Formats: sequence, C-alpha cells, structure tokens
Amino acid sequence: MLMAVKNQIKVAFLSVKYACMRHMLNKTTFITKVLFMILNDATFIVQWIILFSLKDNVGGYEFKQVLLLWGIAAGVYGVSRFFFYKAFSLSDLINEGKLDSYLVQPKNVLISVITSDVEVSAIGDLLYAYIVLALYGMNFGNFLLFTFLIICGGITVANISIITASLSFWFGKSDAVMDTVNTLMVNFATYPDGIFKGITKIILYTIIPVGLVNYIPVKLLIQFNVNRFLLIIGITLFFMGLAFLIFYKGLKRYASSNLMISRI
Amino acid sequence: MRKYWYIFQSEIMSSLQYVFNMFSRIVSYALMLFIFMNLWKYIYSDPKELIHNYSVGQMIWYVTVTEWIYFATRGRNFCNKIIQDVRSGNLVYHINKPYNYIHYLLISHLGEMFLTFILFGLLGTGLGYLLIGEFPLLTIGSILAVIVTAVLAIVINTLLIIFIGLFSFMIEDSNPFYWIYSKFMLIFGTIFPIEFFPKWAQGILNYSPIYVTSYGPARLFVAFDGRNFGIVIIAQLIYIVIGYLLCLAIYRKGVRKLNVNGG
Repeated sequence: MLMAVKNQIKVAFLSVKYACMRHMLNKTTFITKVLFMILNDATFIVQWIILFSLKDNVGGYEFKQVLLLWGIAAGVYGVSRFFFYKAFSLSDLINEGKLDSYLVQPKNVLISVITSDVEVSAIGDLLYAYIVLALYGMNFGNFLLFTFLIICGGITVANISIITASLSFWFGKSDAVMDTVNTLMVNFATYPDGIFKGITKIILYTIIPVGLVNYIPVKLLIQFNVNRFLLIIGITLFFMGLAFLIFYKGLKRYASSNLMISRI
Repeated sequence: MRKYWYIFQSEIMSSLQYVFNMFSRIVSYALMLFIFMNLWKYIYSDPKELIHNYSVGQMIWYVTVTEWIYFATRGRNFCNKIIQDVRSGNLVYHINKPYNYIHYLLISHLGEMFLTFILFGLLGTGLGYLLIGEFPLLTIGSILAVIVTAVLAIVINTLLIIFIGLFSFMIEDSNPFYWIYSKFMLIFGTIFPIEFFPKWAQGILNYSPIYVTSYGPARLFVAFDGRNFGIVIIAQLIYIVIGYLLCLAIYRKGVRKLNVNGG
C-alpha cells in the first residue's frame, strides 16, 4: 500500500516535471511569465500601504500580518495551479469527453489528469510567497510550517475545484459553478477576515472555506496552536477523500466523445 | 462604416446567446463591491467622517463605477484572443477580409461588451443603492455625461489592450504585460481616487490612462462638475487618438514581420 502511494507520488512529480519542461522550451516566455507574476503580485503592496496610512490596523491585522496573508494566499494559489493545474479545467475535460487518454493509463486517473499540465506563472506566485515570508521574518521553523500550510491549502483548493467540476458528470456544464467558487476563494483570500461580520464570516469558514485555507494558517504562523494545526490536516484529508469519492462516483457516468487524442 | 455596424450588431446578437456565461463575472463584480463596502465601512469608523474629502458613501460609489468599467472591458479574454490570433497565425484570415483588423477588433469588442456594459451598469446601480441606501446628487444631464465618459473609457481601455495584444508580434506571448497593465489599473485606478496617493504620484496619475479610464468617470459620478466633465472628455479624446495611432503603428510593423515569416 505504502509502496503504491510512493510510486503514485513519484509518477505525479514526473508528470509535473515534464509538463514544466515543455513550457521551458521557450525560455523568454517562461522567464517573462515568472518575473511578471512576481511583479503583478507585488503591486498589491501599494494598496495596503495606502490603507495602513489611513488606519493603524485593518480588520485586526497589522501591515506585517497582511503581508503574511498575502504570502499564504500566493503560496496556496501557486501550489494549486502549479501542481494540480488541470483540476481547474476538469469540467471542460468531462464535458467534452476528453478523459479517454487518462483512463488507459496504469496509474490513478484523477491524479494523472490534474498533474498533466502546469501554469508557469504559478512559479512566480510561489517565489513571491517566500519573498513575502522573508519580509515578514523567516526562520527555519516558520519556513517549514509555511511550506506545509501552503501545500495543504493548495491541495484543498484543488480538491474543491475537483468536487465542483465533477458535478459535470451529473449536470452537464458545471464550469460556471467551478469558476464562481474558485473566484470567491481567490478574492476573499487577500482581505483580513476581521472586516467581515455575521453570516459572511460563517460562510468563509464553511461553504467557501477561505478561512480554513488562508486565515487559520496565518493565525498558526503568528501563534502556533496544536488544535488548529490538526484541524488543517483534518480539513485537507476530508476534502481529499470527498474529491476522490465524488470524482470516481461520477466517472462511472462518463461518456467518451471518441476523440483521438495523443498525450506525449 | 456599414460593415462595422454589422460586425457590432452580430457581436451583440452573439453575446445574447451566451448571457448565462456571465454568471461567474456577475458574482465576481457583486463580490468585489461587497468586499470594498466592508473594507471602507471598517476604515471609516465614523460614517460622517471625510477622508481626502470623500465620504464613505462616495467611496463605495466610486468603486462601483470604476469596477463597472473594469469588468465591462473584460480585457483578459480579449487580450488572449489577439495573442492567439498572432501566435497561431489566425491573423491571416483577417488580413484578406475587407476591413481593417484594428477597426474590426475595436468594434467587435465594443459589440461584445455592449450587453455587459448595460447589465453591469444596472447591477452596480442596484447593488450600490442596496449597500449605501442613497444615490449621489445627479441630474439626467450629469448621468448622461457619466455614461458618455464611461463609454469613452472602455474605448481607450480596448485600444490599449489591442496594443498590448499586438505586442505578441515582438515577443511570443504578451500576456504578462497585460497582467501588469490590469493590476496597474486595478490598484491605482479602481480602488482609490487619485487624491489618496502622495502628491508626487498624483502628478503622474493625472496624466496616466488611470485618469481617463477610471478616475475621470467615477469622480464625475460622485461629485459632478461641468468644468471637470470638459477636461475629462478632452483628455479622453487625446488618449483615443494616441491609442489608435499606437495600435496602427505596431500592427503595420508586425504585419511586415508576418509577411517575411510567411514567405
């Protein structure tokens, strides 16, 4: 069992590696995408400098804590879009009946699909996440914890996308639902939870679990708490299990479009 | 002119077929307004407080208008479409058609955005009223003036995006330049009025595309002033001429390159 998991992870990493190498064929475009994404993320610092010139703290966050929130948000986005990029276009693959080439592969279908391509600019997000952590104050302990938290967050975000995309097996086009949930996750992730009140705050920790992916990790990095740490692990495993369950349940209803597709 | 009118009409008809595809963008727009309402209500601890002469209501209306223009332009897909035309060679199919490619892009995009512009305008007005509970002091004339400047803002945005897209003639994928342009517009244009930036930055922003595509129309909506309207319109017309000439220049240079490659 452990050997099988180890092999699967190895294959997934190789798939991501070769996808990345394909994109590296055009070095200028590759480097431009990475560097410009770092610059793109960095522009938001201007927004927060201005907001903090108006008020000392925003939603209970000081400037350094907002930096950390941005670091977690960029890291989670980077992990999810670099390692599991196809999870965000899975709905189209199901709708258009393009899963055939993955079904004949000897390894896990879902993992083969979601790791079959990478978003190059996500490397820029990941680098930016660590630059922000360095600005916040990096040490060996918070470096490890930060890395662990963005991996868990990235996996959870990808799993949420898989769950909403898998609805396509039953209801046809579910890309609008998938896009909406992904948009909500990204947009809420970079604003402190303290500015939201009442029902919105409850939604952010349940239906749209930005709180579990972004806000709790920030609180954990500021002050470590074993219960919160275990909660993050539990949530990651829960969404992972749910995503696999729903995808494989839906896969039984999959209809091929008989398209000839080769994966090189 | 008639051919462009047909292109404009056919794009409107086409967008009517895919009206439900706007769902996630409508949610995004509503969400951004909701987030900024929460943010500004938090920053303005006293509802009667003025920051840089803006009340909390004016700030939320300001963001409503700037986000309306930003969302109605839908630049990312449009820029990507131009980049794909250049990269895949699809551009060849436009060259032999009896229209100018720049004019075609501009008109077809305006047609595609026509419905979005109206829908998001109505949605923004409704949401703004729901969130704030009152409208700014406006007359029919000033509302029309704001709409005219908003349309011109979208024309300028479209021209600048065409320019960025056509930059793919020079480097293979000009998408990263669009990201920076888009973020520049979002941070400096939609979230804060120019008065919120340091004095030295205000001087630059007043001459940048921010003034004509975001600040100008939004400022007119929250505090209408006839003289200001004249200044915004003149600045917008200057930007349209500059944007158009830039697009023509890069297209002519790029097409020559395409001919050489094509053999």
